[in-house]
Amino acid sequence: MKVNTNSNTYIIIYSVIMVVIVAVLLAVAALGLAPRQQENMLNEKKTQIVKALGEDPATVAYDSVITKAVILDQTGAVVSEDVSEVFAALNDLKGSFAANRFPLFVATSGVVAPLYGAGLWGPIWGYIALDTDMNTVKGIVLDHSGETPGLGAEITTPKHQAMYVGKSVYENDQLVGITLKKGGAEKGNPHQVDAITGGTKTSDGVSAMISDCLNYYKPYFDAARAAATAEVEAESNTLNE
Amino acid sequence: MASKSLKNLTAPLSGNNPVIVQILGICSALAVTVQLKPAIVMGLSVMVVTAFSNLVMSLLRNGVPSRIRIIVQLVVIAALVILVDQVLKAFVYDVSKQLSVYVGLIITNCIVMGRVEAFALQNKPWDSFLDGIGNGLGYASILVIIAFFRELLGSGTLFGFRIIPESWYLAEGGFYSNCGLMLFPPMALIIVGCIIWAHRSFNKDLQEK
Repeated sequence: MKVNTNSNTYIIIYSVIMVVIVAVLLAVAALGLAPRQQENMLNEKKTQIVKALGEDPATVAYDSVITKAVILDQTGAVVSEDVSEVFAALNDLKGSFAANRFPLFVATSGVVAPLYGAGLWGPIWGYIALDTDMNTVKGIVLDHSGETPGLGAEITTPKHQAMYVGKSVYENDQLVGITLKKGGAEKGNPHQVDAITGGTKTSDGVSAMISDCLNYYKPYFDAARAAATAEVEAESNTLNE
Repeated sequence: MASKSLKNLTAPLSGNNPVIVQILGICSALAVTVQLKPAIVMGLSVMVVTAFSNLVMSLLRNGVPSRIRIIVQLVVIAALVILVDQVLKAFVYDVSKQLSVYVGLIITNCIVMGRVEAFALQNKPWDSFLDGIGNGLGYASILVIIAFFRELLGSGTLFGFRIIPESWYLAEGGFYSNCGLMLFPPMALIIVGCIIWAHRSFNKDLQEK
């Protein structure tokens, strides 16, 4: 029997069957590969957190440096210590910040806070690690979705990220963050690093992102700093007695 | 393998190269060639998609209603691209992150649809499959050549490894600085132009009178 491949009935039946087959195929593939993809995304986040602490993710495991992952509210109080909830909050960091849920990773040697902000062409994000004094930067990891290669995208290079190490985010009791200074950081200023030549807008975005995001955690940092000071005072009191 | 089938595989590598002779797929050749690694992955992904979309469309060619054949081609190609994207995400996550939107853009790569429309709908499955592999390889080879020059001259590295010594750079007291223009798409277009120039001066039959 010769089928007329140009009749309307044939075309409709053909399209319906084709769409159903393709839909089933794609659904199976998406479901089958989902666990692996989720795992990859989780591993990538863990790698970046370890990197922010200045450790090499190839040799240092996430579990060996991070003691706990928490979600803080706007007063710095811990609202959740559930690891999967913390990583879920990272998936929509913008929404979590808006809902006053601030994920934080506590390490043996400091804390790691996620960052999220706007570059020139699209979102930028990353992680910043502070030492146990909640002031000294241990390291930073920055990433972007569409900054200009060779200009704004330079924020992802190890060379740029190395400049933040050892800088401090507090000026007395003011949380000032780190500013990317156009024309080069002033000598001896602990709150400035060099901006990227030709990437001024991206640099401004990074400065704003660091100060905005760290301020979300200010109550927690302040409390930790006060506790540290009280401890030192208590120690000197005991010595005096 | 019959010599005629083999010709389907080898012709697109040089004499009928999709990028420098058919001038297809230029947009993605500009976008993913800043570094070698994503260029190679993009080339291989396109090769897989052209090969299998050619194969599938060639198998379907007698049943496809000609009035909706473009739509059928799109569905087949889009499904294959989504599959490639999902597989990359699951098995080579960092590469898929670098390629980001470009994987999705394989769907709009003119080579894929161009070969289906021009070759697979008139030829047997095996020939079409080889034609797809050949065109994918032809595309990949040009991408690799462009990416080689762009990464070497633009960043001083190859596959991320430093080729031009750090001490040569002005910042380190040397005399050299990277060519920033190499990182931008227009330079890729200029390199494509140079490749076409060199290619045509060796293949006189391609020169227009």
